[in-house]
Amino acid sequence: MSYLLPHLHSGWAVDQAILAEEERLVLIRFGHDWDETCMQMDEVLASVAETLKNFAVIYLVDITEVPDFNTMYELYDPSTIMFFFRNKHIMIDLGTGNNNKINWAMKDKQEFIDIVETVYRGARKGRGLVIAPKDYSTKYRY
Amino acid sequence: MVYVQSPFKKTLAVNLNPATTTLRDLNLHLHRYHLIPISHQRLYLSPRLLSTEGNDAVFLSDLGVSPNSTLTLHVPLLGGMQAPVAPKARTDFLNTKPPPNYVAGLGRGATGFTTRSDIGPARAAPDLPDRSAAAIGAPGAPGVGRGRGKGAGEEEEEEESEEKGYDENQKFDEFEGNDAGLFASAEYDDEDREADAVWEAIDNRMDSRRKDRREARLKEEIEKYRASNPKITEQFADLKRKLHTMSNDEWDSIPEIGDYSLRNKKKRFESFVPVPDTLLEKARQEKEHVSALDPKSRAAGGTETPWAQTPVTDLTAVGEGRGTVLSLKLDRLSDSVSGLTVVDPKGYLTDLKSMKITSDAEVSDINKARLLLKSVTQTNPKHPHGWIAAARLEEVAGKLQASQHLIRKGCEECPKSEDVWLEACRLASHVDAKAVIARGVKAIPNSVKLWMQAAKLELDDVNKSRVLRKGLEHIPDSVRLWKAVVELANEEDARLLLQRAVECCPLHVELWLALARLETYENAKKVLNKAREKLSKEPAIWITAAKLEEANGNTSMVGKIIERGIRALQRESVEIDREMWMKEAEAAERAGSVATCQAIIHNTVEVGVEEEDRKRTWVADAEECKKRGSIETARAIYAHALTVFLTKKSIWLKAAQLEKSHGTRESLDALLRKAVTYIPHAEVLWLMGAKEKWLAGDVPAARAILQEAYAAIPNSEEIWLAAFKLEFENHEPERARMLLAKARERGGTERVWMKSAIVERELGNIAEERRLLDEGLERFPSFFKLWLMLGQLEERLKNLERAKDAYELGLKHCPKSIPLWLSLAHLEEKVNNALSKARAVLTMARKKNPQTPELWLAAVRAESRRGEKKDAEILMAKALQECPTSGILWAASIEMAPRPQQKTKSRDAYKKCGDDPHVLAAVGKIFWHDRKVDKARSWFNRAVTLAPDIGDFWALYYKFELQHGGEDTQKDVLNRCIAADPKHGEKWQGISKAVENSHQPTESILKKVVVAIGKEDHAAETGKN
Repeated sequence: MSYLLPHLHSGWAVDQAILAEEERLVLIRFGHDWDETCMQMDEVLASVAETLKNFAVIYLVDITEVPDFNTMYELYDPSTIMFFFRNKHIMIDLGTGNNNKINWAMKDKQEFIDIVETVYRGARKGRGLVIAPKDYSTKYRY
Repeated sequence: MVYVQSPFKKTLAVNLNPATTTLRDLNLHLHRYHLIPISHQRLYLSPRLLSTEGNDAVFLSDLGVSPNSTLTLHVPLLGGMQAPVAPKARTDFLNTKPPPNYVAGLGRGATGFTTRSDIGPARAAPDLPDRSAAAIGAPGAPGVGRGRGKGAGEEEEEEESEEKGYDENQKFDEFEGNDAGLFASAEYDDEDREADAVWEAIDNRMDSRRKDRREARLKEEIEKYRASNPKITEQFADLKRKLHTMSNDEWDSIPEIGDYSLRNKKKRFESFVPVPDTLLEKARQEKEHVSALDPKSRAAGGTETPWAQTPVTDLTAVGEGRGTVLSLKLDRLSDSVSGLTVVDPKGYLTDLKSMKITSDAEVSDINKARLLLKSVTQTNPKHPHGWIAAARLEEVAGKLQASQHLIRKGCEECPKSEDVWLEACRLASHVDAKAVIARGVKAIPNSVKLWMQAAKLELDDVNKSRVLRKGLEHIPDSVRLWKAVVELANEEDARLLLQRAVECCPLHVELWLALARLETYENAKKVLNKAREKLSKEPAIWITAAKLEEANGNTSMVGKIIERGIRALQRESVEIDREMWMKEAEAAERAGSVATCQAIIHNTVEVGVEEEDRKRTWVADAEECKKRGSIETARAIYAHALTVFLTKKSIWLKAAQLEKSHGTRESLDALLRKAVTYIPHAEVLWLMGAKEKWLAGDVPAARAILQEAYAAIPNSEEIWLAAFKLEFENHEPERARMLLAKARERGGTERVWMKSAIVERELGNIAEERRLLDEGLERFPSFFKLWLMLGQLEERLKNLERAKDAYELGLKHCPKSIPLWLSLAHLEEKVNNALSKARAVLTMARKKNPQTPELWLAAVRAESRRGEKKDAEILMAKALQECPTSGILWAASIEMAPRPQQKTKSRDAYKKCGDDPHVLAAVGKIFWHDRKVDKARSWFNRAVTLAPDIGDFWALYYKFELQHGGEDTQKDVLNRCIAADPKHGEKWQGISKAVENSHQPTESILKKVVVAIGKEDHAAETGKN
């Protein structure tokens, strides 16, 4: 469903996209449209984009086309979602140990919306780190 | 180097070459640095505005900027109505080209992060300023060309942007930079590339030409800066070097820095908001009791509150409940952590025990308790008391089923606890109880309690003993079981059982003793010997043996046995506890084994008593025994004491008293005889012996004793007088006279003279009497009784004047004699029939003897005899003021008071002198008049017990009993009166001392006094009426 979402084709565009938003959260998915994980993620993103439009904007970045952030943001996973607000990278404590990003495909829409909303609320308050409503640490998976 | 003065009043030094840098580049740099949009940047070189249209691509040097010149950056104030920016408006970057030489993320100052250093460094670039300087310093970077090269595909996009209504140039301006201006749409061909290369070469050359100098200067500048602003580490370098001299202690003593962060600081002040009135009103309503029922609740049954109406009112209870639940949870947690029980189960089980459920209101308590106990049983299921308490709680709450269920569970959890089984047995119905106890017994076959309970559950003796025998099979050494079995058996079986029992538990004296009791004399002896072998330290065996011998008539053996026993016990180093042995002696006495008792006392009374304490201890012990009614023991103690202290009068006296009160006359006599042989100079003992004889009616024997006494103590006046009294009372006045004459010759005291006068008075020899009195008064002028007798003598002879003289003379010699004063006053009153003289005498007497209630009373009586009621009352008031604690006066004042005031008077009197017999008798009289028989009796009783020597009260009491009591009580009072042998009392003395009444027994005097009182009362009644 990646075709339903705007893509950013250059580092410049990414920067501008992050800088341009004053009031909304900028949510960027780094990955490949053809990647299976990304496809799952995009499915969710596309379906919630309309719901979130008032407080978050979603962009997709192909990390092969735009490799500029690969080292900076350690983009090695098949799918990575990062949040920015007013040119500030917002971290989320997901319980996974990596607070910088969501590096797996979320399948539950509502869960995702909840996370985004939490991030937005925290960011509005000036927080640099928010705590996700649900713990995604691996102990619940095994 | 160019300096830019920023709007933040800071000067930024930009390292650039004005000749090779365009204004656009500078703008971009500033944008990067200050994040001020390029469109808003207005650069001035002194007054001249540089940032104008078309200047973008111009080199700075062309605009007049020289190296080291200072530019001013100004940001225009954009006031007024600026169109609000819609959030979604800016998506232009999607379609725009990035600026040349753009480093992603740099434009917005993005920083990366390193979470996985194993993969590679996240931060690719060195510090920012250097990079920017390099970027600006190399304007002819290949990126420029690349941007230009990409320009080919840009046209269509620009057309699109035209549609959106953007100004093309401006946009171009903003993003593309100045070098795209003229040739932006041109091809990037070889020529261009060559040109670029040339320019680059030139740049490099230019750059390298001044490189050394520039770098040197930079270095110098940095050094200068460092010198002026030294680093902290450098500042403290010397101190740091000394750190190795610090000792460990010094390191340790460096104080920890506290947490002074702002978050943990307490707020300086809190704001308080006044409580709104609505809340206060609500609270008041909740506290209020409503006595009326509202119709809704009446519909719901009146007394109970419907659920829906009041959700939860008792918030504190809820809160407390939550608190306890929480604490319980915590306890459980701590249990699980440490593995130990933190809860003190016994502690709160006892708390629960003290809880009693009386009404439905305590249902919540029950629930709470149930919760508690549930947690107890869950956290510690092996704790039997938790189960028991839980079951009891259910039982109290009336849920028998639940309690049975609980206790059954308890039995399963703790099958080794006999308490649980017993509780289960108690809770089970009668039919099930046996089954339960059977299981219990199976679980713990060694529990005596369970076996006993099992036996108790059986109804008939046969089954009971069967159960007990079964129990004994498991626990053959349980004394309790043995005892229970023996109790159920008949004598023969019991004997057999006991024989077995002493084999099983040879260390229990009771079993041995019981067996000995059941056996015949011979066998018992054997049994006791055997027992002695087993239990060599047990005194009870010896005592029983002694008793056995005594019961079989071998009294001589008793002493030996006890003596041997004590020696044996001492050999076994058993502490001979005197108290214990005394108790044994008393027990033996009560059991009828007097010899044993005596033997025990004889052998043990000296044990553990200090030499100097012996007398005191023994007397005290004897007294105690006497008080407890153990006469034989006391007698034995005295007997032993007398063997040691032969010459102690006090012990003889005590022993004699014991015999007198509890023994026979013969024993007393024997004792006294023995006593006087040992201490012949103790006249008391002689007198006692004589009196005993006399009381027994054996006058000659008494006489003989007194003669013996006289022989032993020839000069004792007491014995003289006793002898005189004996003769006198036995109507032998001649003998009495002779005795007294002898005594007078021997130089007796005034008492002898007085007695002599009394004898003469009795015999009617007035002349002799007067002679004796005169003689006596010559010798003893200060003995008032003689004066009194003289006066009375004259009075009897109607020589009133001489009587008066006698009294007055007497008063001269002894002015403190109250009876003399009274007699004189009385005489005066009688003689002149006028009060004045008597008054004067009494006043005088009072002056000489202040605070004498008798004188006051006489004065009051004299007044009231004259009918001067007012004067009498005034006098009485005065008298009470002078002697406020005098019982006689109070009693008189009670009697004087009119009937309605008597009660208040008596209350006052009782307060002032509550235990004065006069007052008690007066109060008793009031009750008597009010027909409150029981109360009156108790008051009289108190009076006579307090003052048994005053006959008036006995007379009053007797009269009262004659009127209200039965024959028994009358006799009782009479006997008690005779026993008390009263001597004093106003009316009593009047009658008993009268010449015609001498030698009368107490009984007749009592009756006479009663008659006199009756007469007086009658007179008083008629007088009042």
